[in-house]
Amino acid sequence: MKAFSMGRKITSFALLIAGAVMLIIALALDFSGSGTSFRGPLLVIGLIALLAGLYLFPTLKYHKNIINFLFLFPLLFTFGVTVIIPLVLGIFYSMTDWTGIGYTQFVGFANYMAMFKEVSFLWSLLLTILFVLVNMIMVNLVGFALALLCTSRLKGVGFFRAAYFLPNLIGGIVLGYVWQFVFNNVLIQLTKTSLLSNSGPAFAAIIVVYVWQYAGYIMLIYVNGLVTVPGDVIEAAAIDGASSFTTLLRIRIPMIASTITICTFLTLTSAFKQFDVNMALTNGTGSISNFMGQYLTNGTQMLALNIYNTAISKNSYALGQAKAVLFFIILACVSLIQVRISNKKEVEM
Amino acid sequence: MKKLIAILLAAVLVLSMAACGAASGSAAEAPAGSAAEGGSAAAAPGGSSGSIRLVNGKIEIDAQLKKLAQMYEEKTGVHVEIESMGGGIDIQGTLKGYYQAGNMPDIFVNGSDADFSNWTGLLADMSGEAWVSDTDAAYANADGTVGFPYTTEAIGLAYNADILEKAGVDPATLTSPAAYEEAFKKIDEQKDALGLTAVVGYYTEPVNLYWSTGNHVFGQYLDAGLARDDSTYIDMLSDGGKLDEARFTKFAEFIGLLQEYADKDMMISGTYDQEILNFASGKYAFVTQGSWIGATMTNDDADAYAGAGSFKVGFAPYAFDDGIDTILTASPSWWSVFKDGNAEDAKAFLQWLTTDEAQEVLVMEAGFISPFKSCKYVANDPFAQTMSDYLAAGKTSNWHWQGMIEGIAQNYTGQVFNDYAQGKMDTAQFVQTMQQVCATAYGG
Repeated sequence: MKAFSMGRKITSFALLIAGAVMLIIALALDFSGSGTSFRGPLLVIGLIALLAGLYLFPTLKYHKNIINFLFLFPLLFTFGVTVIIPLVLGIFYSMTDWTGIGYTQFVGFANYMAMFKEVSFLWSLLLTILFVLVNMIMVNLVGFALALLCTSRLKGVGFFRAAYFLPNLIGGIVLGYVWQFVFNNVLIQLTKTSLLSNSGPAFAAIIVVYVWQYAGYIMLIYVNGLVTVPGDVIEAAAIDGASSFTTLLRIRIPMIASTITICTFLTLTSAFKQFDVNMALTNGTGSISNFMGQYLTNGTQMLALNIYNTAISKNSYALGQAKAVLFFIILACVSLIQVRISNKKEVEM
Repeated sequence: MKKLIAILLAAVLVLSMAACGAASGSAAEAPAGSAAEGGSAAAAPGGSSGSIRLVNGKIEIDAQLKKLAQMYEEKTGVHVEIESMGGGIDIQGTLKGYYQAGNMPDIFVNGSDADFSNWTGLLADMSGEAWVSDTDAAYANADGTVGFPYTTEAIGLAYNADILEKAGVDPATLTSPAAYEEAFKKIDEQKDALGLTAVVGYYTEPVNLYWSTGNHVFGQYLDAGLARDDSTYIDMLSDGGKLDEARFTKFAEFIGLLQEYADKDMMISGTYDQEILNFASGKYAFVTQGSWIGATMTNDDADAYAGAGSFKVGFAPYAFDDGIDTILTASPSWWSVFKDGNAEDAKAFLQWLTTDEAQEVLVMEAGFISPFKSCKYVANDPFAQTMSDYLAAGKTSNWHWQGMIEGIAQNYTGQVFNDYAQGKMDTAQFVQTMQQVCATAYGG
């Protein structure tokens, strides 16, 4: 084992030790609340020294593993700091009486029990599921129809593609306020009372705005799917005397089945997470005269907005956090099903 | 040649890795710092250079505050950064975000008991400051004197004095529901001659204007006509959301009266801007807003207001019961100093705000009614006169709506006012629904 020089061994160990010491000092300074200005650089230099020491570590057997780790490290670290730690903290906070600033006691599952006793929350849950179902169908239908239009031989197709996609580039909050103005000041000439002042029409209004915003995006994916259908297959169908409708039904749709799966799940998850248009357009207002024996004031409030308002406007951060954990579980289930189904499709093809 | 390129590429790779390491290293530092010590991370950049940051909750006086900040910087060299929020933004929520991010301002606004209790143990005690003995409106709790008052506001039924005079209505008589009904009827009959769209501007839109109905109008039920230290109805509300049925029914009937004579096109979905613009243009005789609209009338709507003859304005009490003759006045919010921030400079700045030159800007330009006894300026705000009259006559009630549970107007009561205005419920149903909704709000 004369593969490594003495110098390299020493450099490696020295770097490792120095790096570890600097890291520990920096962290100790941080936790002790010291205001010294050099602890940031100290932490960074310590980290770099530690990584360099690892890289130079005198081993042949594990060298490849170390390199793999070094390359994965930035990603893993970022993932841990931005996803894993907040998730764990969030679940923890949902079991305390957290106020957004601090907490005084651990309350177990009390927040979860309170959540399911809250009629307005159940209403939001129900409304969200309804919204998801309606939108999954509407956005896909409209998006597919637009895609057919944009792959036909019409003039100015490029313009239409851009025009339909444009709403997707505008933020949801801006869209919400623009449409709020439309409903409250323009359409009111036709409808007498604003569509937004009653729960039913207001919910329909949110769906319209959402479809308008999202259909262009889905259209683009369908366009991509449709242009990959080989021309010779369609030609063959035409020679066999298939009408264009039959071609669509028997050839084109089956050939883009995987695109349809993708689009369905894309609309499903994004509709579940609907927040910005909901907030800007109605902020969840609208009354429900009787739901489970109660008069409700959050007629158009969907799940994400309910969580936000519970935490921010009602100042119950812990309860909001508990709702958010449930929200996470629902979305995780949906995503898992999506992955499962997509994998199956791939095997079949 | 190949080797050279390889070395170059390797060097680039190493450099980019180092950059990555540095970036993630400093990213790691920020959250750790804020978790461990809260605000001192925010203090570090500001502390040495002598600068302070103020989060202001009244966006309408942003320009005046910036002017004050500049004056102060010229005078003492301490830089004051003004960050204004308003127009329905949830300020406490934003502040909590700042706190979590270790980015706390040195001075920030607190508007209610609940706001102050959020920050228990984190606010600097200012009881040793000189201005404390100069005012009755400071906010004090177990932590000491933690709120610096900067203005006085009033909520009543604002009226256009010129129109009332032309219509032959004496605002001093408006102290009973019957008197109101008579006056409304009288004005309504002369609507066209007076150029009015409607007698009352009463807006109930629940998405952005919930605070007007849910906080201020509802606040009249809590306090109108009561002595300043009387907290009967807020105590009842705090006890599981109970309403006094007799008093609330009378209040509901009065709201019904307002609705009858309100601008029906705008009552359901009109915006704040439209409401104030219409009042400033002389299209309503009354409007259900408080003294803050004076600033809007003389700034944003200055042209319309001048076009309508810069009419005189006043406040009438919400006389939903016989003999109610008070309007509500209080400090709407206070400025607090963050203990772990640049507290000394912040306190000095607040002390400076009570000096003559600063008060001149606050009163004469921002239109504040100064809560400080030593202040010798009287604002040229349209509502300053009527407020001074009520204060001098002792015909004011305190307001307690800031002591309601958080989010009640936005999430609960605002919508009920809107439903009542839409005619979805009659007075009895309105009272009953409001009882149920308040119980829900306080129950969970």
